[in-house]
Amino acid sequence: MTVIQHGRGGSPGEAIDGITPRLVAEPTSGEACAAVLAAAAAGRVPTVMRGSGTKSGWGRPLDAVDLVVSTKSLNNLLVHRDGDLTVTVGAGVTLARLNTALSARGQWLPVDSAFVGTTVGGALATNDSGPLRQRFGTPRDLLIGITLALTDGRVVKSGGTVVKNVAGYDLGKLVTGSYGALAAIVDATFKLLPLPHASATLRAVYTDPEPLAADAAAIAAGQLEPMAFDVRAADTPDGLRWTMLVRFASSPAAVAAQLDAARTLVHGETSAMREGIETRAWAEQVALAWEAPSTSLGASDAVVRCSWLPSRLGEVLALARALRADCGMAFTGRIGAGSGLLRLAGGDHTVAAAIEQLRLDSSPVGHVVVLRGSRVLRSLVDVWGTAPSAPAAALKRALDPAGILNAGRGPL
Amino acid sequence: MTERFREELRGICGASAVLTEPVQLLTYECDALPHLRESPALVVLPDSAAQVQAVVRVCAREGVPFVARGHGTGLSGGALPVPGGVVISLARLNRVLEIDIPNRLVTVEPGVTNLEITRQVAPFGYYYAPDPSSQQVCSIGGNVAENSGGAHCLKYGFTVHHVVEVEAVLPDGSLTRIGSRLADEPGPDVLGLVVGSEGTLAVVTKVVVRILRRPETVQTLLAAYDTISAAGTAVSEIIAAGIIPAAVEMMDALAIKAAEAAVHPNFPPADTILIVELDGPAPEVRELFAMVEAICRRTGASTVEVAADEAHRMRIWKGRKAAFAAMGRVSPNYYVQDGVVPRTKLPEVLGRIKALSERSGLGIGNVFHAGDGNLHPLICYDESVPGQAELAEKVAGEILTYCVEAGGSITGEHGVGADKKHYMPRMFSEHDLDAFQQVRDAFDPQRICNPGKVLPTPRLCGEVPGPYREHPAERAGLAERF
Repeated sequence: MTVIQHGRGGSPGEAIDGITPRLVAEPTSGEACAAVLAAAAAGRVPTVMRGSGTKSGWGRPLDAVDLVVSTKSLNNLLVHRDGDLTVTVGAGVTLARLNTALSARGQWLPVDSAFVGTTVGGALATNDSGPLRQRFGTPRDLLIGITLALTDGRVVKSGGTVVKNVAGYDLGKLVTGSYGALAAIVDATFKLLPLPHASATLRAVYTDPEPLAADAAAIAAGQLEPMAFDVRAADTPDGLRWTMLVRFASSPAAVAAQLDAARTLVHGETSAMREGIETRAWAEQVALAWEAPSTSLGASDAVVRCSWLPSRLGEVLALARALRADCGMAFTGRIGAGSGLLRLAGGDHTVAAAIEQLRLDSSPVGHVVVLRGSRVLRSLVDVWGTAPSAPAAALKRALDPAGILNAGRGPL
Repeated sequence: MTERFREELRGICGASAVLTEPVQLLTYECDALPHLRESPALVVLPDSAAQVQAVVRVCAREGVPFVARGHGTGLSGGALPVPGGVVISLARLNRVLEIDIPNRLVTVEPGVTNLEITRQVAPFGYYYAPDPSSQQVCSIGGNVAENSGGAHCLKYGFTVHHVVEVEAVLPDGSLTRIGSRLADEPGPDVLGLVVGSEGTLAVVTKVVVRILRRPETVQTLLAAYDTISAAGTAVSEIIAAGIIPAAVEMMDALAIKAAEAAVHPNFPPADTILIVELDGPAPEVRELFAMVEAICRRTGASTVEVAADEAHRMRIWKGRKAAFAAMGRVSPNYYVQDGVVPRTKLPEVLGRIKALSERSGLGIGNVFHAGDGNLHPLICYDESVPGQAELAEKVAGEILTYCVEAGGSITGEHGVGADKKHYMPRMFSEHDLDAFQQVRDAFDPQRICNPGKVLPTPRLCGEVPGPYREHPAERAGLAERF
């Protein structure tokens, strides 16, 4: 039996995919984290990294969880260099806590996860993002340095604390989206942005998706620079409605001017939202795929992520409408990035069939990944829908030769 | 290298595309860092991805090292040949394959120049954002290798933020796609690792870049200051006001003098010139630009010149972009350094550089991206004076020490290449460097893909990580570092 120092029995509150871990280690330093990983690697103990557990059900289903390494106590580091617009932060710090600290100096890390409690490490490991990616990209685009704990017991860093730096390989980008399958994230350094002075959102509501897609194309082709540019489809008391949200953030006068300009380009029923109403609308937009706002959908519905070329938005919306014939459906998407979340309600076999349909070569969407789904669903269809590329597989063998990290849940 | 090997390459690329005559190889001995030179065994000029793949396969089978080369404008010796190895020139892979305006994607071969992408999409109102000073001639493949930046990366980021997918030949000769035109491909960001890997992980044969809509408005101003610290204060105040300019550039007196001599931008006489550019929707730019102008005046600018039209704006940028080459007007030789410091440390580090200039007796001009702390000291020397070239190199190295001590980096955009690999231990521990090597070996277990670049390996025996120390063998003249 491998001895994991400072390990203790897991509790139900630390469950991974609904399974209480046999052992939990909660290292308080990068070195301690690396030591735990090295011991786990030596004993070939399947290991799952855990931040605050907001996405712990993601991935292929597990039968047992041997070891969870929690980053909860890697939460003391938070160095905000406001003059340089950078921050170095421990992996276990939540995005919410980080942004509260940054806002004291008028700055932010513009990553709007759907999960309030998500940690910096978790956001990076899943390359989590929200509507703000329209302007700011995903965490990988803001990351400038990282410290990692490796399964060979070493702590290494890549990048640094300056925004421009091409010395050495960018291991930070490499672990972004790796779901903890290559190394443990100990801390990260980001470039920051000033908080915008003012913000307003134009909402346009449509009864059919086609005119929405046409209006979206008109906005994309123009010189407006929205901070967020989203679409949603959801049942309302009046039936299925298609909504476009275009958010501008700048100085107050510039926001007003852009909002007016956008209004001339759209044909849906429009309204302008500011302040509390705007904040709530975006919170609802971010949560729509995950929480159950309407009676036809439940808290355990499957959530599937997919991507498309922005020019195919109309086809994607038509596909979403077609899926609704078989499943309960809600959809939120990032128009500029071409990425969205489909919430699908129904029996596991029905949802599995819908996912297979999304994965057909003729489908307008790609990278169809099951983020949330019952264990049955996740055994009916492959969660990731794709095997790792040859370089990704080689990197996995190099950095995790014992193959312990993320316990076979993928994507590596 | 055997004649059979050469014949095989001729069979792949055609006899005229395999260069072996010493006079033909001369062009390929160095990139834009001419003091590092090596002669390759041969140069191949494939004109398709399939040919590149076939060449790499043969190299992999025979264990022959190869170096991919774009247009040879690199400033860190990243395309320095390996003695006895093959140089794969990608100059003939220069086709623009697809322009997809609705999806803002352009697919090109690696030999296409950076500026050509903008030229192709400008009629539609789009442009390609990364703009290294060499953009008229540098290749997009080289940009991918170096993760090139430019003057506008404060707001728009680097090559890595604008490349979405590449097709690449891995060192084992397999052809693969890395990254995706579609967002959110599941799995680790291998593309983010490959961009900026300086040609050590793969040979890129196709690049899909994202283009941006031309901003509605661009406004540029030039402010003249009596001291560099006053200009630095202006930059800090602009950032503190919540403004992220498209570009913030500074030039000191020597750089101004050189630019004036070379391209006559008609800069006002000043100790320091600050160039600030804002772009975006017209109402936003109008409002923020007024704030920037006020900050410049408040911080003591002796003159603030606002570009009245596009021609005026281009003249300002011409003066800035010509500054490197213009050094030739004021000094027989010069050495371009590339280092980064946290922006708030600029005054301190510039003070140290000034003291170093006085102490060494070598003039040092400073042209830099002030917004992101990326310094480009230009160290003037005269190679006809015995010892000055060596002194200049030492001075350049000393500046990197200042950058690292200030919490910065040994390179912001020129890359490590062959030139700076022995400085890597100043920034990274032995563990860090070992991890980099592990990653490299995952792609290239034979160590044949651009070997001798980026990482300070193989280490000379007895060399210890930490600040650069002369190895006994070097001191004795038995070995030298490249």
